Amino acid sequence: MSKRNDITTPEGYFGDLQERLLEIPARPARVSTVRRLTPYVAIAASFLVAVMLGNFILSKTAAPSPEDDTWTYVSYLADALDPDGAAMFDETDWYEDQEESGLSEEDIINYLLADGISVEHLNYLSYEAGY
Amino acid sequence: MDGVERLFNEIVKDYSERVYWHVRRFVNNHEDADDLVQEIFLKIWTALPSFRGEAQLFTWIWRIATNETLNWIRREKVRAALRFTSIDAEMERRIDSDPFFDGDAADRALSKAVAKLPEKQRQVFILRYYDEMPYEQMSEVLGTSVGALKASYHIAQEKVRAALGKDLFIGDD
Repeated sequence: MSKRNDITTPEGYFGDLQERLLEIPARPARVSTVRRLTPYVAIAASFLVAVMLGNFILSKTAAPSPEDDTWTYVSYLADALDPDGAAMFDETDWYEDQEESGLSEEDIINYLLADGISVEHLNYLSYEAGY
Repeated sequence: MDGVERLFNEIVKDYSERVYWHVRRFVNNHEDADDLVQEIFLKIWTALPSFRGEAQLFTWIWRIATNETLNWIRREKVRAALRFTSIDAEMERRIDSDPFFDGDAADRALSKAVAKLPEKQRQVFILRYYDEMPYEQMSEVLGTSVGALKASYHIAQEKVRAALGKDLFIGDD
């Protein structure tokens, strides 16, 4: 199985890329980091804050599930379902997978900031949502 | 041309292609890789005056490249959620629709299996398997011990093997 030959680029791409990158120092520096909040981002922000609030309420009101508790339960389940495979189940790996499975608040904030929402507006939305 | 600009030009000449291939493995699409490489080099240019040489230049560049790539993936995860899809499904779609993907079915399956790895394992797998970076160098870039990196690579390999079928050779470490 090849390591690199499976992906290609347009012909002459790297020469063109280098030319464009070498122009970076000549580009005018960004004057301001504050960008205008577009209506789309405002809607997305409101939606996301609502989802975050929903998650928060659910986490406070729903009965605790065994999965939330500990690695012990996962280990027990793995052992019960697949006694031979349980030895291969790695605790660190399980936690890493959990970390991957959902969107963190940091992911959402990172996205919103990258898409142009200001920190002040984000704070305002969080305040409105009761955070 | 001052010293900083001269150094930046050297970095572009020495590292742009390597950074591109690294980024491309993460984003699974030529156009996005092109955009992200430009963002990374813009960041390098902006931060270059503050580069003090405590870290090796290579390590410093790779730290910026890996951080920017992870930030891109996290933003993409949110974009996927806003479209009511998952980042895994989005990555599969990209691999299937990339006009510059030239591999066979096994290569495609490997790319998809790698795209499904958890973030940190994917990072280690790409750096080790595709970029062929030594563990010691990887340790400096990611700030993780060599032992932990080897463990992560092993777990990633096992997952990829399981996804592909155990008879496919994807290297040992």
